[in-house]
Amino acid sequence: MKVSLARHGGQAAAIRLQQPPEVVDTDTLPRSAATELTRLVAAATASAPAVSDRPGRARDAMSYTITVQDDGVTTDLTQSDTTMSPEFAALLDWLDKHFTRP
Amino acid sequence: MTTTRRVHCIIPPHLLDKLLESDDSEVRKAALDTMLTTTRLRGERAIRASFIGATAPGNGRRTVFDCRQGRVLPTATLVRTEEGTASQDASVNRAFDGLGLTRDFYHDVLQRDSIDGLGMRLNGYIHFDRMYNNAFWDGQQMVFGDGDGRMFTDFTGAVDVIGHELTHGVTEYTAGLAYHDQPGALNESISDVFGTLVKQWSAHQSVDAADWLIGAEVFTPGIDADALRSLKAPGEAYDNPEFGKDPQPAHMNKYVNLPNTERGDYGGVHINSGIPNKAFYLTATRIGGYAWQAPALIWYESLKASTSQTQFQDFADTTYQKAEELYGADSAEQLAVLAAWQDVGIHISGIPTGIARTRSHTARHNGGVGHEDGVAALSKQIKALTAQVKALAEDVTALKSSNALKSSR
Repeated sequence: MKVSLARHGGQAAAIRLQQPPEVVDTDTLPRSAATELTRLVAAATASAPAVSDRPGRARDAMSYTITVQDDGVTTDLTQSDTTMSPEFAALLDWLDKHFTRP
Repeated sequence: MTTTRRVHCIIPPHLLDKLLESDDSEVRKAALDTMLTTTRLRGERAIRASFIGATAPGNGRRTVFDCRQGRVLPTATLVRTEEGTASQDASVNRAFDGLGLTRDFYHDVLQRDSIDGLGMRLNGYIHFDRMYNNAFWDGQQMVFGDGDGRMFTDFTGAVDVIGHELTHGVTEYTAGLAYHDQPGALNESISDVFGTLVKQWSAHQSVDAADWLIGAEVFTPGIDADALRSLKAPGEAYDNPEFGKDPQPAHMNKYVNLPNTERGDYGGVHINSGIPNKAFYLTATRIGGYAWQAPALIWYESLKASTSQTQFQDFADTTYQKAEELYGADSAEQLAVLAAWQDVGIHISGIPTGIARTRSHTARHNGGVGHEDGVAALSKQIKALTAQVKALAEDVTALKSSNALKSSR
Protein backbone atom coordinates (compact mmCIF):
# COMPACT_ATOMS: atom_id res chain seq x y z
CA MET A 1 0.00 0.00 0.00
CA LYS A 2 1.30 3.47 -0.93
CA VAL A 3 0.21 6.49 1.09
CA SER A 4 0.98 10.03 -0.07
CA LEU A 5 0.47 13.35 1.69
CA ALA A 6 -0.04 16.70 -0.07
CA ARG A 7 -0.46 19.91 1.89
CA HIS A 8 -2.42 22.86 0.51
CA GLY A 9 -3.11 26.47 1.46
CA GLY A 10 -1.92 28.42 4.46
CA GLN A 11 0.32 31.45 4.58
CA ALA A 12 2.87 29.54 2.49
CA ALA A 13 0.30 28.33 -0.06
CA ALA A 14 2.37 29.55 -3.01
CA ILE A 15 5.34 27.50 -1.81
CA ARG A 16 3.22 24.39 -1.21
CA LEU A 17 1.71 24.59 -4.69
CA GLN A 18 5.11 23.83 -6.14
CA GLN A 19 6.03 20.95 -3.82
CA PRO A 20 5.36 17.32 -4.72
CA PRO A 21 3.48 15.05 -2.30
CA GLU A 22 5.48 12.93 0.13
CA VAL A 23 5.02 9.16 -0.27
CA VAL A 24 5.48 6.14 1.99
CA ASP A 25 5.20 2.51 0.87
CA THR A 26 4.24 -0.02 3.54
CA ASP A 27 6.50 -2.58 1.80
CA THR A 28 9.49 -0.50 2.93
CA LEU A 29 8.37 -0.26 6.58
CA PRO A 30 9.05 -2.57 9.52
CA ARG A 31 6.08 -4.90 10.05
CA SER A 32 4.81 -3.12 13.18
CA ALA A 33 4.91 0.30 11.49
CA ALA A 34 3.14 -1.07 8.38
CA THR A 35 0.42 -2.59 10.57
CA GLU A 36 -0.04 0.68 12.47
CA LEU A 37 -0.25 2.72 9.24
CA THR A 38 -2.78 0.30 7.76
CA ARG A 39 -4.91 0.59 10.90
CA LEU A 40 -4.78 4.41 10.86
CA VAL A 41 -5.70 4.52 7.15
CA ALA A 42 -8.68 2.25 7.74
CA ALA A 43 -9.92 4.39 10.65
CA ALA A 44 -9.51 7.65 8.71
CA THR A 45 -11.26 6.21 5.66
CA ALA A 46 -14.19 4.96 7.76
CA SER A 47 -14.63 8.37 9.40
CA ALA A 48 -14.23 10.41 6.20
CA PRO A 49 -16.99 13.00 5.83
CA ALA A 50 -18.60 13.93 2.54
CA VAL A 51 -16.02 15.95 0.63
CA SER A 52 -16.74 19.68 0.88
CA ASP A 53 -13.71 21.21 -0.90
CA ARG A 54 -14.76 24.66 0.37
CA PRO A 55 -12.85 26.82 2.82
CA GLY A 56 -15.86 27.82 4.97
CA ARG A 57 -15.08 30.93 7.02
CA ALA A 58 -11.48 29.97 7.78
CA ARG A 59 -8.76 31.93 5.98
CA ASP A 60 -5.23 30.63 5.45
CA ALA A 61 -6.03 27.35 7.20
CA MET A 62 -4.23 24.40 5.64
CA SER A 63 -5.84 21.36 4.11
CA TYR A 64 -4.35 17.96 3.48
CA THR A 65 -4.97 15.33 0.84
CA ILE A 66 -3.93 11.81 1.80
CA THR A 67 -4.03 9.49 -1.19
CA VAL A 68 -4.09 5.74 -0.56
CA GLN A 69 -3.21 3.31 -3.37
CA ASP A 70 -3.95 -0.28 -2.47
CA ASP A 71 -4.61 -3.24 -4.78
CA GLY A 72 -5.27 -0.96 -7.75
CA VAL A 73 -7.78 1.16 -5.85
CA THR A 74 -7.03 4.84 -5.18
CA THR A 75 -8.75 6.70 -2.37
CA ASP A 76 -8.38 10.45 -1.68
CA LEU A 77 -9.00 11.74 1.83
CA THR A 78 -9.04 15.55 2.15
CA GLN A 79 -9.59 17.46 5.37
CA SER A 80 -8.60 20.87 6.76
CA ASP A 81 -7.22 22.29 10.00
CA THR A 82 -10.63 23.49 11.10
CA THR A 83 -12.77 20.47 10.21
CA MET A 84 -10.45 17.53 10.81
CA SER A 85 -11.74 14.31 12.40
CA PRO A 86 -9.66 12.78 15.23
CA GLU A 87 -9.01 9.70 13.03
CA PHE A 88 -7.70 11.83 10.16
CA ALA A 89 -5.60 13.86 12.64
CA ALA A 90 -4.05 10.64 13.99
CA LEU A 91 -3.11 9.50 10.47
CA LEU A 92 -1.73 12.94 9.59
CA ASP A 93 0.31 12.99 12.79
CA TRP A 94 1.81 9.57 11.98
CA LEU A 95 2.71 10.67 8.46
CA ASP A 96 4.15 14.00 9.67
CA LYS A 97 6.39 12.19 12.14
CA HIS A 98 7.44 9.66 9.52
CA PHE A 99 8.34 12.30 6.91
CA THR A 100 10.16 14.61 9.32
CA ARG A 101 12.17 12.00 11.20
CA PRO A 102 15.93 12.54 10.84
CA MET B 1 8.25 76.86 -15.26
CA THR B 2 6.56 76.02 -11.99
CA THR B 3 4.05 73.26 -11.21
CA THR B 4 1.24 73.60 -8.72
CA ARG B 5 0.83 70.86 -6.17
CA ARG B 6 -2.11 70.11 -3.91
CA VAL B 7 -1.07 69.66 -0.31
CA HIS B 8 -3.31 68.01 2.26
CA CYS B 9 -3.44 67.49 6.00
CA ILE B 10 0.22 67.75 6.86
CA ILE B 11 0.55 71.49 7.41
CA PRO B 12 0.01 72.78 10.98
CA PRO B 13 -3.23 74.82 11.39
CA HIS B 14 -1.40 77.96 12.52
CA LEU B 15 0.64 77.94 9.30
CA LEU B 16 -2.50 77.43 7.22
CA ASP B 17 -4.06 80.48 8.92
CA LYS B 18 -0.99 82.48 8.02
CA LEU B 19 -1.08 81.28 4.42
CA LEU B 20 -4.74 82.28 4.13
CA GLU B 21 -3.62 85.87 4.69
CA SER B 22 -1.10 85.70 1.86
CA ASP B 23 -1.20 88.34 -0.85
CA ASP B 24 -0.79 85.60 -3.41
CA SER B 25 -4.13 84.14 -4.58
CA GLU B 26 -2.55 80.76 -5.53
CA VAL B 27 -1.14 80.33 -2.03
CA ARG B 28 -4.47 81.32 -0.47
CA LYS B 29 -6.30 78.80 -2.69
CA ALA B 30 -3.90 75.97 -1.80
CA ALA B 31 -4.31 76.70 1.91
CA LEU B 32 -8.09 76.87 1.63
CA ASP B 33 -8.24 73.55 -0.28
CA THR B 34 -6.13 71.92 2.43
CA MET B 35 -8.30 73.23 5.24
CA LEU B 36 -11.54 72.16 3.56
CA THR B 37 -10.30 68.62 2.91
CA THR B 38 -8.92 68.22 6.42
CA THR B 39 -12.11 69.48 8.00
CA ARG B 40 -14.24 67.11 5.90
CA LEU B 41 -12.12 64.09 6.82
CA ARG B 42 -12.11 65.01 10.50
CA GLY B 43 -15.88 65.39 10.41
CA GLU B 44 -16.39 61.97 8.81
CA ARG B 45 -14.12 60.29 11.32
CA ALA B 46 -15.71 62.00 14.29
CA ILE B 47 -19.16 60.86 13.22
CA ARG B 48 -17.96 57.28 12.72
CA ALA B 49 -16.17 57.30 16.06
CA SER B 50 -19.29 58.50 17.87
CA PHE B 51 -21.28 55.52 16.53
CA ILE B 52 -18.53 53.10 17.52
CA GLY B 53 -18.31 54.41 21.06
CA ALA B 54 -22.00 53.77 21.59
CA THR B 55 -21.73 50.05 20.83
CA ALA B 56 -18.40 48.70 22.02
CA PRO B 57 -19.02 45.87 24.49
CA GLY B 58 -15.78 43.86 24.07
CA ASN B 59 -13.50 46.85 23.57
CA GLY B 60 -11.10 44.64 21.61
CA ARG B 61 -9.91 42.86 24.76
CA ARG B 62 -7.18 40.31 24.14
CA THR B 63 -6.91 36.75 25.42
CA VAL B 64 -4.16 34.26 24.57
CA PHE B 65 -4.58 30.48 24.90
CA ASP B 66 -1.90 27.77 24.75
CA CYS B 67 -2.79 24.72 22.62
CA ARG B 68 0.25 22.88 24.02
CA GLN B 69 0.86 21.26 20.61
CA GLY B 70 -2.73 20.03 20.38
CA ARG B 71 -5.16 20.70 17.54
CA VAL B 72 -8.37 21.15 19.54
CA LEU B 73 -8.92 24.81 20.41
CA PRO B 74 -11.57 24.33 23.14
CA THR B 75 -9.08 22.34 25.24
CA ALA B 76 -6.39 25.06 25.10
CA THR B 77 -5.26 26.70 28.34
CA LEU B 78 -5.80 30.40 29.06
CA VAL B 79 -2.36 31.99 29.52
CA ARG B 80 -2.79 35.77 29.29
CA THR B 81 -5.53 38.37 29.56
CA GLU B 82 -5.65 42.17 29.60
CA GLU B 83 -5.48 42.11 33.40
CA GLY B 84 -2.69 39.53 33.57
CA THR B 85 1.05 40.08 33.66
CA ALA B 86 3.49 39.22 30.91
CA SER B 87 4.24 35.52 30.44
CA GLN B 88 7.54 33.68 30.71
CA ASP B 89 6.72 32.31 27.26
CA ALA B 90 7.84 34.80 24.57
CA SER B 91 5.28 33.40 22.09
CA VAL B 92 2.45 34.37 24.46
CA ASN B 93 3.71 37.94 24.70
CA ARG B 94 4.40 38.31 20.98
CA ALA B 95 0.89 37.11 20.12
CA PHE B 96 -0.62 39.41 22.77
CA ASP B 97 1.38 42.39 21.53
CA GLY B 98 0.66 41.66 17.85
CA LEU B 99 -3.07 41.48 18.51
CA GLY B 100 -2.80 44.78 20.37
CA LEU B 101 -0.83 46.55 17.64
CA THR B 102 -3.33 45.48 15.00
CA ARG B 103 -6.27 46.55 17.16
CA ASP B 104 -4.60 49.91 17.84
CA PHE B 105 -3.79 50.42 14.15
CA TYR B 106 -7.43 49.97 13.18
CA HIS B 107 -8.58 52.17 16.05
CA ASP B 108 -6.07 55.01 15.75
CA VAL B 109 -5.62 55.13 11.98
CA LEU B 110 -8.99 54.06 10.59
CA GLN B 111 -11.24 54.69 13.61
CA ARG B 112 -12.42 51.08 13.50
CA ASP B 113 -13.24 49.44 16.83
CA SER B 114 -11.67 45.97 16.51
CA ILE B 115 -12.43 43.37 13.84
CA ASP B 116 -16.19 43.84 13.62
CA GLY B 117 -16.19 47.58 14.29
CA LEU B 118 -18.04 46.86 17.53
CA GLY B 119 -15.20 46.04 19.89
CA MET B 120 -14.99 42.30 19.16
CA ARG B 121 -12.71 40.38 21.51
CA LEU B 122 -9.40 39.20 20.08
CA ASN B 123 -8.44 35.63 20.90
CA GLY B 124 -5.10 34.12 19.94
CA TYR B 125 -4.17 30.42 20.14
CA ILE B 126 -0.45 29.66 20.22
CA HIS B 127 1.59 26.43 19.98
CA PHE B 128 -1.03 24.88 17.69
CA ASP B 129 -0.16 21.32 16.64
CA ARG B 130 3.37 19.94 16.46
CA MET B 131 5.84 21.72 14.14
CA TYR B 132 2.94 23.51 12.43
CA ASN B 133 4.19 25.74 9.59
CA ASN B 134 1.39 28.25 9.47
CA ALA B 135 -0.88 30.82 11.10
CA PHE B 136 -4.55 31.22 10.23
CA TRP B 137 -7.85 32.93 11.01
CA ASP B 138 -10.51 30.32 11.76
CA GLY B 139 -13.41 32.70 11.25
CA GLN B 140 -13.51 33.78 14.91
CA GLN B 141 -9.96 33.80 16.23
CA MET B 142 -6.32 33.58 15.32
CA VAL B 143 -4.17 30.43 15.49
CA PHE B 144 -0.35 30.31 15.46
CA GLY B 145 2.03 27.44 14.75
CA ASP B 146 5.56 27.13 16.12
CA GLY B 147 7.11 26.19 12.77
CA ASP B 148 9.15 23.07 12.21
CA GLY B 149 12.43 24.76 13.19
CA ARG B 150 13.97 23.55 9.96
CA MET B 151 12.38 25.87 7.40
CA PHE B 152 9.86 27.88 9.42
CA THR B 153 10.02 29.42 12.86
CA ASP B 154 7.38 30.66 15.31
CA PHE B 155 4.69 32.59 13.43
CA THR B 156 4.01 34.88 16.41
CA GLY B 157 7.27 36.64 15.44
CA ALA B 158 5.77 38.36 12.39
CA VAL B 159 3.50 41.31 13.23
CA ASP B 160 2.54 41.69 9.56
CA VAL B 161 1.30 38.09 9.56
CA ILE B 162 -0.83 38.86 12.62
CA GLY B 163 -2.17 42.00 10.91
CA HIS B 164 -2.80 39.91 7.79
CA GLU B 165 -4.86 37.30 9.64
CA LEU B 166 -6.92 39.75 11.68
CA THR B 167 -7.64 41.72 8.51
CA HIS B 168 -9.32 38.59 7.12
CA GLY B 169 -11.79 39.17 9.94
CA VAL B 170 -12.24 42.83 8.96
CA THR B 171 -12.86 41.80 5.34
CA GLU B 172 -15.42 39.26 6.49
CA TYR B 173 -17.30 41.96 8.42
CA THR B 174 -17.14 44.50 5.57
CA ALA B 175 -17.02 43.40 1.91
CA GLY B 176 -17.20 39.67 2.69
CA LEU B 177 -15.04 38.99 -0.37
CA ALA B 178 -15.61 35.39 -1.51
CA TYR B 179 -12.53 33.19 -1.06
CA HIS B 180 -11.90 32.11 -4.62
CA ASP B 181 -10.57 33.50 -7.90
CA GLN B 182 -10.35 37.32 -8.16
CA PRO B 183 -12.48 38.17 -5.07
CA GLY B 184 -10.34 35.66 -3.13
CA ALA B 185 -7.09 37.15 -4.43
CA LEU B 186 -8.38 40.60 -3.44
CA ASN B 187 -9.23 39.16 -0.02
CA GLU B 188 -5.62 37.97 0.34
CA SER B 189 -4.25 41.25 -1.03
CA ILE B 190 -6.28 43.34 1.42
CA SER B 191 -4.78 41.25 4.23
CA ASP B 192 -1.26 41.75 2.88
CA VAL B 193 -1.83 45.50 2.45
CA PHE B 194 -3.15 46.09 5.96
CA GLY B 195 -0.71 43.55 7.42
CA THR B 196 2.22 45.53 6.08
CA LEU B 197 0.54 48.80 7.12
CA VAL B 198 0.34 47.57 10.72
CA LYS B 199 4.08 46.89 10.55
CA GLN B 200 4.91 50.25 8.92
CA TRP B 201 2.67 52.18 11.31
CA SER B 202 4.05 50.50 14.43
CA ALA B 203 7.64 51.16 13.27
CA HIS B 204 6.76 54.65 11.95
CA GLN B 205 8.27 53.81 8.57
CA SER B 206 7.83 55.92 5.45
CA VAL B 207 7.09 54.27 2.11
CA ASP B 208 10.78 54.53 1.25
CA ALA B 209 11.99 53.02 4.53
CA ALA B 210 9.52 50.10 4.54
CA ASP B 211 10.58 46.67 3.22
CA TRP B 212 7.09 45.88 1.82
CA LEU B 213 7.60 42.20 2.72
CA ILE B 214 5.12 39.84 4.35
CA GLY B 215 6.50 37.27 6.77
CA ALA B 216 10.18 38.13 6.56
CA GLU B 217 10.56 36.72 10.08
CA VAL B 218 8.93 33.30 9.58
CA PHE B 219 11.89 31.56 7.96
CA THR B 220 14.78 30.04 9.86
CA PRO B 221 18.16 31.72 9.25
CA GLY B 222 19.30 28.83 7.03
CA ILE B 223 16.55 29.42 4.46
CA ASP B 224 17.48 31.60 1.51
CA ALA B 225 14.25 33.60 1.19
CA ASP B 226 13.36 37.23 1.83
CA ALA B 227 9.78 36.57 2.88
CA LEU B 228 6.53 34.81 2.01
CA ARG B 229 5.51 37.63 -0.35
CA SER B 230 6.69 41.03 -1.54
CA LEU B 231 4.28 43.87 -2.35
CA LYS B 232 7.09 45.83 -3.94
CA ALA B 233 8.26 42.98 -6.16
CA PRO B 234 5.70 40.16 -6.44
CA GLY B 235 7.47 37.08 -7.83
CA GLU B 236 10.77 37.92 -6.18
CA ALA B 237 10.27 37.05 -2.52
CA TYR B 238 12.23 33.80 -2.88
CA ASP B 239 14.00 31.65 -5.41
CA ASN B 240 15.74 28.61 -3.99
CA PRO B 241 15.89 24.86 -4.59
CA GLU B 242 13.64 24.01 -1.62
CA PHE B 243 10.75 26.38 -2.41
CA GLY B 244 11.24 27.03 -6.12
CA LYS B 245 10.61 30.56 -7.42
CA ASP B 246 7.97 32.88 -6.00
CA PRO B 247 5.05 32.41 -8.49
CA GLN B 248 3.24 35.71 -7.79
CA PRO B 249 2.51 37.87 -10.86
CA ALA B 250 2.85 41.66 -10.76
CA HIS B 251 0.80 42.33 -13.91
CA MET B 252 -2.46 41.12 -15.42
CA ASN B 253 -0.63 39.70 -18.43
CA LYS B 254 0.89 37.12 -16.04
CA TYR B 255 -2.40 36.27 -14.25
CA VAL B 256 -2.28 32.61 -13.22
CA ASN B 257 -5.39 30.55 -13.97
CA LEU B 258 -5.75 27.77 -11.42
CA PRO B 259 -8.78 25.59 -10.59
CA ASN B 260 -11.14 26.71 -7.83
CA THR B 261 -10.20 23.77 -5.58
CA GLU B 262 -8.10 23.27 -2.47
CA ARG B 263 -5.27 21.94 -4.63
CA GLY B 264 -5.59 24.97 -6.91
CA ASP B 265 -5.47 27.41 -3.96
CA TYR B 266 -9.11 28.27 -4.81
CA GLY B 267 -8.10 29.80 -8.12
CA GLY B 268 -4.72 31.03 -6.90
CA VAL B 269 -5.86 33.39 -4.15
CA HIS B 270 -2.31 33.49 -2.71
CA ILE B 271 -0.81 33.81 -6.20
CA ASN B 272 -2.78 36.49 -8.05
CA SER B 273 -2.91 38.72 -4.96
CA GLY B 274 0.46 39.92 -6.26
CA ILE B 275 -1.33 42.12 -8.82
CA PRO B 276 -3.42 44.28 -6.43
CA ASN B 277 -0.52 44.18 -3.96
CA LYS B 278 1.71 45.82 -6.52
CA ALA B 279 -1.01 48.38 -7.33
CA PHE B 280 -1.13 49.40 -3.68
CA TYR B 281 2.65 49.63 -3.45
CA LEU B 282 2.78 51.83 -6.57
CA THR B 283 -0.04 54.05 -5.29
CA ALA B 284 1.65 54.48 -1.91
CA THR B 285 5.08 55.23 -3.30
CA ARG B 286 3.69 57.75 -5.80
CA ILE B 287 1.77 59.54 -3.07
CA GLY B 288 4.79 59.24 -0.81
CA GLY B 289 5.12 59.91 2.91
CA TYR B 290 3.39 57.33 5.09
CA ALA B 291 1.36 54.58 3.46
CA TRP B 292 -1.08 54.38 6.38
CA GLN B 293 -2.34 57.88 5.56
CA ALA B 294 -3.98 58.63 2.17
CA PRO B 295 -3.27 55.22 0.50
CA ALA B 296 -4.64 53.27 3.47
CA LEU B 297 -7.75 55.43 3.68
CA ILE B 298 -8.47 55.04 -0.05
CA TRP B 299 -8.09 51.23 0.17
CA TYR B 300 -10.10 50.96 3.40
CA GLU B 301 -13.00 53.02 2.05
CA SER B 302 -12.89 50.92 -1.13
CA LEU B 303 -12.99 47.70 0.89
CA LYS B 304 -16.10 48.92 2.71
CA ALA B 305 -17.71 49.78 -0.64
CA SER B 306 -16.97 46.32 -2.11
CA THR B 307 -19.07 43.15 -2.14
CA SER B 308 -18.48 39.40 -2.07
CA GLN B 309 -18.05 39.21 -5.85
CA THR B 310 -15.89 42.28 -6.44
CA GLN B 311 -13.36 41.69 -9.22
CA PHE B 312 -9.99 43.41 -9.72
CA GLN B 313 -11.52 45.86 -12.23
CA ASP B 314 -14.36 46.76 -9.82
CA PHE B 315 -11.94 47.35 -6.98
CA ALA B 316 -9.63 49.47 -9.13
CA ASP B 317 -12.59 51.62 -10.23
CA THR B 318 -13.70 52.00 -6.62
CA THR B 319 -10.26 53.14 -5.44
CA TYR B 320 -10.24 55.76 -8.21
CA GLN B 321 -13.69 56.97 -7.16
CA LYS B 322 -12.79 57.01 -3.44
CA ALA B 323 -9.58 58.92 -4.14
CA GLU B 324 -11.70 61.58 -5.84
CA GLU B 325 -14.23 61.69 -3.00
CA LEU B 326 -11.49 62.01 -0.39
CA TYR B 327 -8.93 64.19 -2.15
CA GLY B 328 -10.63 65.72 -5.18
CA ALA B 329 -10.83 65.10 -8.92
CA ASP B 330 -7.42 65.01 -10.58
CA SER B 331 -5.75 65.30 -7.19
CA ALA B 332 -2.27 63.83 -6.95
CA GLU B 333 -3.76 60.97 -4.91
CA GLN B 334 -6.30 60.14 -7.62
CA LEU B 335 -3.67 60.33 -10.36
CA ALA B 336 -1.41 58.04 -8.33
CA VAL B 337 -4.23 55.47 -8.12
CA LEU B 338 -4.88 55.73 -11.86
CA ALA B 339 -1.22 55.29 -12.78
CA ALA B 340 -0.72 52.41 -10.33
CA TRP B 341 -3.57 50.30 -11.72
CA GLN B 342 -2.52 51.12 -15.27
CA ASP B 343 0.99 49.86 -14.49
CA VAL B 344 -0.38 46.46 -13.43
CA GLY B 345 -2.53 46.21 -16.56
CA ILE B 346 -5.89 47.41 -15.22
CA HIS B 347 -7.38 50.49 -16.86
CA ILE B 348 -9.92 52.49 -14.86
CA SER B 349 -13.36 52.23 -16.47
CA GLY B 350 -14.65 55.29 -18.30
CA ILE B 351 -11.26 56.95 -18.72
CA PRO B 352 -10.21 56.89 -22.40
CA THR B 353 -6.80 55.27 -22.77
CA GLY B 354 -5.17 58.41 -24.21
CA ILE B 355 -6.36 60.60 -21.35
CA ALA B 356 -5.42 57.94 -18.81
CA ARG B 357 -1.93 57.76 -20.31
CA THR B 358 -1.48 61.54 -20.10
CA ARG B 359 -2.75 61.72 -16.54
CA SER B 360 -0.62 58.75 -15.49
CA HIS B 361 2.38 60.42 -17.04
CA THR B 362 1.64 63.50 -14.96
CA ALA B 363 1.37 61.39 -11.80
CA ARG B 364 4.63 59.58 -12.53
CA HIS B 365 6.56 62.76 -13.20
CA ASN B 366 5.13 64.92 -10.44
CA GLY B 367 6.77 62.67 -7.91
CA GLY B 368 3.74 62.47 -5.64
CA VAL B 369 2.31 64.76 -3.01
CA GLY B 370 4.30 63.37 -0.16
CA HIS B 371 7.71 63.09 -1.72
CA GLU B 372 8.54 66.19 0.17
CA ASP B 373 7.11 67.74 3.23
CA GLY B 374 3.96 69.81 2.62
CA VAL B 375 5.44 72.98 4.10
CA ALA B 376 8.54 72.55 1.98
CA ALA B 377 6.36 72.08 -1.11
CA LEU B 378 4.43 75.25 -0.39
CA SER B 379 7.61 77.14 0.41
CA LYS B 380 9.01 76.03 -2.91
CA GLN B 381 5.90 77.31 -4.70
CA ILE B 382 6.05 80.60 -2.84
CA LYS B 383 9.76 80.95 -3.65
CA ALA B 384 9.09 80.24 -7.31
CA LEU B 385 6.23 82.74 -7.41
CA THR B 386 8.34 85.32 -5.59
CA ALA B 387 11.12 84.79 -8.12
CA GLN B 388 8.63 85.28 -10.95
CA VAL B 389 7.26 88.46 -9.38
CA LYS B 390 10.81 89.72 -8.82
CA ALA B 391 11.73 89.01 -12.42
CA LEU B 392 8.58 90.76 -13.61
CA ALA B 393 9.32 93.75 -11.41
CA GLU B 394 12.84 93.90 -12.82
CA ASP B 395 11.42 93.73 -16.35
CA VAL B 396 8.99 96.55 -15.58
CA THR B 397 11.78 98.64 -14.06
CA ALA B 398 13.97 98.02 -17.08
CA LEU B 399 11.08 98.93 -19.38
CA LYS B 400 10.41 102.13 -17.44
CA SER B 401 14.10 103.07 -17.59
CA SER B 402 14.16 102.38 -21.29
CA ASN B 403 11.05 104.51 -21.87
CA ALA B 404 12.44 107.31 -19.71
CA LEU B 405 15.66 107.24 -21.72
CA LYS B 406 13.71 107.40 -24.99
CA SER B 407 11.61 110.35 -23.69
CA SER B 408 14.70 112.27 -22.61
CA ARG B 409 16.07 111.98 -26.13
